[in-house]
Amino acid sequence: MALGSGGDFLLTTVDSVARWAQASSVWPLTMGLACCAIEMMTATAPEYDMARFGSEVFRASPRQADLMIVSGRVSKKMGPIVKRLYDQMADPKWVISMGACASSGGVFDNYAIVQGVDTIVPVDVYVPGCPPTPDGLLYAVNLIQQQIKQGGRGGILARA
Amino acid sequence: MPSSQAPPAGATALDPTAVRPDINDARIVRVTPAEIRATLEVLRSDGFSMLLDIGGADYPGREPARFDVVYHLLKLPARIASVAEVGTPERVRVLCGVREDDAVVPTVSDLWPSADWAEREIFDLYGISFSGHPDMRRIQMPDDWEGYPLRKDYPLRGPANERTPRPSFALKSNVAAGTPASGRTAAALQKQIAQARGRNEFHGAADPAATAQSGKTPGGAMTAGAATPEQLAERPHDLNLQKDDTK
Repeated sequence: MALGSGGDFLLTTVDSVARWAQASSVWPLTMGLACCAIEMMTATAPEYDMARFGSEVFRASPRQADLMIVSGRVSKKMGPIVKRLYDQMADPKWVISMGACASSGGVFDNYAIVQGVDTIVPVDVYVPGCPPTPDGLLYAVNLIQQQIKQGGRGGILARA
Repeated sequence: MPSSQAPPAGATALDPTAVRPDINDARIVRVTPAEIRATLEVLRSDGFSMLLDIGGADYPGREPARFDVVYHLLKLPARIASVAEVGTPERVRVLCGVREDDAVVPTVSDLWPSADWAEREIFDLYGISFSGHPDMRRIQMPDDWEGYPLRKDYPLRGPANERTPRPSFALKSNVAAGTPASGRTAAALQKQIAQARGRNEFHGAADPAATAQSGKTPGGAMTAGAATPEQLAERPHDLNLQKDDTK
């Protein structure tokens, strides 16, 4: 970015503006699966206030969401639904696997629970904890924003 | 008219032990599947208007009836004038032994509508079906599930997934490509990263010639300069992913 000498115009690129806008308005999908969802709700409440990072608008439609927060254990019956919701989200899209159960099955190493949501949808950021604190989720959203600002295109770009 | 909620003088009836009896006070009746229907009809006409729950139990090896279906009934007074009059509602527990080779029990969902889903749950988890039920199908497990998970001989991780090692965390590129998360080696991963860099899909790489050649990946072209180790070090989560994958 470059500021004009008189301060009355600004030079930048469309890319950087688009990425700035994207990173500043990551809208999560309204999808609470288990007890992690309680912490996810707390992250949007005034004490933690995810609105500071532009992520307070939880959308009830996957068509309007950029970010899927898998907040809890995913049962094998719920797995296809999670996958379908992910597919319905418009590109670019990002996924946070919140908590031990979403990341690895957690303590539910049994017949009914998907052992890690990364077997269903591609995950960008894993948040450890059982459940993670709202700070942890906020940090994960910050990491997503870093990825976006660095040009990461969720769901498509190889990241290594 | 005085409120029926007003505590009586002396308030003795509000003593919890007086209002709520010990569950062990319940009468227990044991019947066979042939008798269960008649027994429950009699009990219902006798004033047991509430079916609290239907449970199942598995006693592997017990002969002749391996399973128990347990009906919990509560007798509620028709008209209650006061809390004191409720007193100690009478309870009945009806146990119905079910053979494994003939695991069918007549439904009572027409007597108590609350039996509908409870019977479906027992069918789902124990494999005991209820004849005459209007909608006898699974309720909790997926419709195409095989086996009955609450039977004692059902393996905890499911028949298809006996104890297997946990796969390491998958990179999104691997999941997107359909590569199974388990069994990947560090060498294979490095190869994949090199391929991604070659296609200029890697977010840090922005060789203009490569971009023109591949003709796609605007994401790669956004960032100037390839990702050096120093730049990677500034992105600790990227490094963590790498470390995880080399396990």
